[in-house]
Amino acid sequence: MTRQDRFEAIYDAYYPAIHQYAARRTGSPDDTADIVSETFLTAWRRIRDVPEGERALLWLYGVARRVLANQRRGATRRLELADRLRDELAAERPVTPVDLDHVRAAFEALPERDREVLALACWEELTGEEIAEVVGCTAIAARTRLHRARKRLAALLEREPSSTIAMGEA
Amino acid sequence: MNDIDRLVKAIDRAPRPPAQGSAARELRAAIMETPQRRWKVPRRLPVLLSAVTAVAAAVAIGVGLPAYGPATEYANAAVSLARADDYVNVTITDPTADYREFEEAFRAVGLNVRVKVIPVAPDEVGQLIGPIVPEGFKGPGSVGVTRTPCQSAFCGKVWLPAGLKQLVVFGVGRAAEPGEPYAEDRPYDVMYGEEAVKGYTSRGKTVADVRAELRRRGLKAAYRLLWRDSDGAGFFDQIVSADQIKDDWIVDGTRFRSSDAVDLYVTPGPGTGPRPDPLKVRTPQWYDLTD
Repeated sequence: MTRQDRFEAIYDAYYPAIHQYAARRTGSPDDTADIVSETFLTAWRRIRDVPEGERALLWLYGVARRVLANQRRGATRRLELADRLRDELAAERPVTPVDLDHVRAAFEALPERDREVLALACWEELTGEEIAEVVGCTAIAARTRLHRARKRLAALLEREPSSTIAMGEA
Repeated sequence: MNDIDRLVKAIDRAPRPPAQGSAARELRAAIMETPQRRWKVPRRLPVLLSAVTAVAAAVAIGVGLPAYGPATEYANAAVSLARADDYVNVTITDPTADYREFEEAFRAVGLNVRVKVIPVAPDEVGQLIGPIVPEGFKGPGSVGVTRTPCQSAFCGKVWLPAGLKQLVVFGVGRAAEPGEPYAEDRPYDVMYGEEAVKGYTSRGKTVADVRAELRRRGLKAAYRLLWRDSDGAGFFDQIVSADQIKDDWIVDGTRFRSSDAVDLYVTPGPGTGPRPDPLKVRTPQWYDLTD
């Protein structure tokens, strides 16, 4: 398999997951497009470093995480390759139901470390071991962080009387 | 999945995987057209060709000049430009030319540009560095650069939105003098680290070990503390002197600072002191506008 074949296979297999990862964590189609394009550009340039099998997805999540962090640091340079994606992505952004706004508010009130592990567990549906690989810590540390994050979110939601309604719907 | 997990899942802003549309496929193709590693792009023939070209094109020419407004194409002894809607094709023929020749060309095609000729490592001589929008790019659109292998010092597309009014800064790499610090054209790669010295891995070794290896190779050591954000994702580096570094601290990576000196990017160890304000220890950048 050539490098080109391998990249195409990785891109086609994991584009949806990386797109979702980016869309979940950014506020605009522009930013989503930037993260998707820069993540796969990194994969292309470092194709030999991309692990085989499904671990490739965890590797890509790790790259996307760094790209996202850099974007949040206010990088001024943006990748031109993302332009083509923006219109396509703009039409796809769903809206959080209004009756879950308090859940989102509580989630946003959590420290970034908590949000990150909760999101990886609940949105990307990663295990503790997989989260550890993405964020670069031990599996024990990942599970501990996840446990604490769940407890902190539960505590925040207990202060919200409407949370029980939302939980019944979930 | 417990109740908390179900709630978090319910606020997922992207619950469905996207269709892989034509734009996604175009992006894949565009990515695969880019060089895989910057240093694997075939080397150019910068100096010999540029001397010939400089004689042949000693007089600046404007091609396709409209009756009013900026040119769509422009060339002088240093550089050739062709302006499209959202990018400019750039060919640098003489990287040693005066910066005013580059600015003249960019301005001729309607761009508010400052060009700095900056000292770089030998493999970056003649390269276009940037573009940087010092005040922060406000969009819409994007800025960036795509290199294309060619016989000139640099060929490629510079992507800039049509009608961009913000000041843009470019660097053009010139060969640094012996011992002259290189301009930093990109941030340190904190994800994978960097290795300056061929055949030697500094990452994970102590400062004392790496310093000894550099000494063995006749290189001087310089130091930067690598301050990571609490989540490990962001970082900044701080230039420090040797007396601010302990021998047993751990090196994250190395990069040539000049032809005879190597920067050690060091993870702060015990007794480092408080994390400084990144704005107060900011390393001067090549694109800073001091004049």
